[in-house]
Amino acid sequence: MTRPKIDREVVLHVAKLASLSLSDGEVDRFAAELTRIVAHVEHLNALDTRDVPATAQVQLECAPWREDAVRPGLSPEEALSQAPRVEADGFAVPTFVE
Amino acid sequence: MLEDLGVTQIAEKVQSGELSAERVVEQTLARISLLDGGLHAFLHVANAEALEQAREIDRKRARGDRLGIMAGVPVAIKDAICTRGLPTTAGSKILAKYVPPYDATVIERLRLADAVVVGKTNMDEFAMGSSTENSAFGPAKNPWDPTRTPGGSSGGSAAAVAARMAPCALGSDTGGSIRQPASLTGTVGIKPTYGRVSRYGLIAFASSLDQIGPFATDVRGAARVLSVIAGHDAHDSTSLAIPRDDFETACGKSIRGLRIGVPDEYFADGLDPEVSASVRAAIQALEAEGGTVSPVKLPHTSFALATYYVLATAEASSNLARFDGVRYGLRVSPASLPASSRSTASDLRAMYGATRDAGFGDEVKRRILLGTFVLSAGYYDAYYLKAQKVRTLVRRDFDRAFGQVDVICSPTSPTTAFRLGEKVNEPLSMYLNDVFTLPASLAGIPAMSLPCALSKEGLPIGLHVMARPFEEATMLAVASAWEARSPVRALRPPAASRST
Repeated sequence: MTRPKIDREVVLHVAKLASLSLSDGEVDRFAAELTRIVAHVEHLNALDTRDVPATAQVQLECAPWREDAVRPGLSPEEALSQAPRVEADGFAVPTFVE
Repeated sequence: MLEDLGVTQIAEKVQSGELSAERVVEQTLARISLLDGGLHAFLHVANAEALEQAREIDRKRARGDRLGIMAGVPVAIKDAICTRGLPTTAGSKILAKYVPPYDATVIERLRLADAVVVGKTNMDEFAMGSSTENSAFGPAKNPWDPTRTPGGSSGGSAAAVAARMAPCALGSDTGGSIRQPASLTGTVGIKPTYGRVSRYGLIAFASSLDQIGPFATDVRGAARVLSVIAGHDAHDSTSLAIPRDDFETACGKSIRGLRIGVPDEYFADGLDPEVSASVRAAIQALEAEGGTVSPVKLPHTSFALATYYVLATAEASSNLARFDGVRYGLRVSPASLPASSRSTASDLRAMYGATRDAGFGDEVKRRILLGTFVLSAGYYDAYYLKAQKVRTLVRRDFDRAFGQVDVICSPTSPTTAFRLGEKVNEPLSMYLNDVFTLPASLAGIPAMSLPCALSKEGLPIGLHVMARPFEEATMLAVASAWEARSPVRALRPPAASRST
């Protein structure tokens, strides 16, 4: 595998996917830092993993099922209590037209 | 002196009426107010709430009700764990004003056992870091030397316990965030088996790795807190219905015949020779207690760091997507957003972007970017899938080793506490702090750190004990066997010798 170059363009693309508006200075700095970190990660390529299954989760024991029962949760007031803006008993976002 | 008492002693005295919970909490709060100015272990001290809770416990006793096994015991809580009515910031500006409307399951369980939450502790932002220097509110300091870090990310909890501002605390451990600070502050810290403790109400970092666990001044105290917080919870589908062993009874049990493995890979380059010598001496002492010591191989140890930084950042990039300025936390409107209702979807995205840029610190952004990169089209197989496969190899290492031995002992951290500022500009060298704690996290096995020795400079060195899944009891037996003969058992940091 050829090593990807983490340049400004890659950082800007990834930042857009991650909903991060970065300043110009941040873009340059993260490009340099991520290049070094990804170079370290490349060292995993020393291992042959063709026949190795992936571990997504350490499933050590079977997790128990729970009853599909209605249980009390937060009241609407509690759920909205930490929202930056509330309107008409809901979370308010800026109005927009697509 | 109250600060000389551990968890079990305080609970006994409050249960018997020899001490009132109110007096315990008053003294604890006085001690925090005396010492924390110089240590910054706490982000919030719950003065009024803690006193009220203590009085309620005393009233309960006066009524003749039986008190729980944490009766009147002050507990400091890492600020990533939700506490109803008390600020919970996760060390981040984006949650600076967040006050959760609910308690995490571990908090509910502590309260049911009559423990008293005395405050919320400092941490690296969203638990991303090894020094608390990534806290948006300034770093915590090590009570053994305030120019040094207490470690991280649960550094505030570790510093609070080390300075005897609380006999115990909760932290969370994703790659070593309980064990490394325990090592650097001379406290006991346990990362339980993955699935042992409910994470409901823990602000998520990397969901396949995160576990909540206790800090305490002694092994038995940590075991008691673990016994209170462990167990299945319907609110967390990864928490398992494994019977709770009697963790406290395991403390003090003979280790005669127990097989102790020592991995060469953990005594390699980069390990401080003093740390190496102290840990080897402790292992010899365990042999003298009747354990049999043999070498084990964990050949993929050196790949754990890269594996962890791919998997943990990928999961973090997904978990932290929830912070968008809509349901809770900070919202920043970009300058470009028009006041009228003629905004477009891109204006909405600009609000998300501006909120996240203003709310997250450097390390969090760095990890979100890395995590998004390794999951992005074209790189997923090469990085994310590759790391998941190497995680399997790391797990197999432990499976094989635990076929031959019952526990594995190693250093917790390659060095003693480093100076604040020393590694802050070099992310990779900061990450290297966790080389010995990461493999157990990837494998989901229980592991703990406890005081091993003091260096010539007077800084704590930690002994790391790992065990098979759900065999915390075996791990605790080994830890308490060492603690019983450890020369550092009763030592206090200079900051803790000031009396209230």
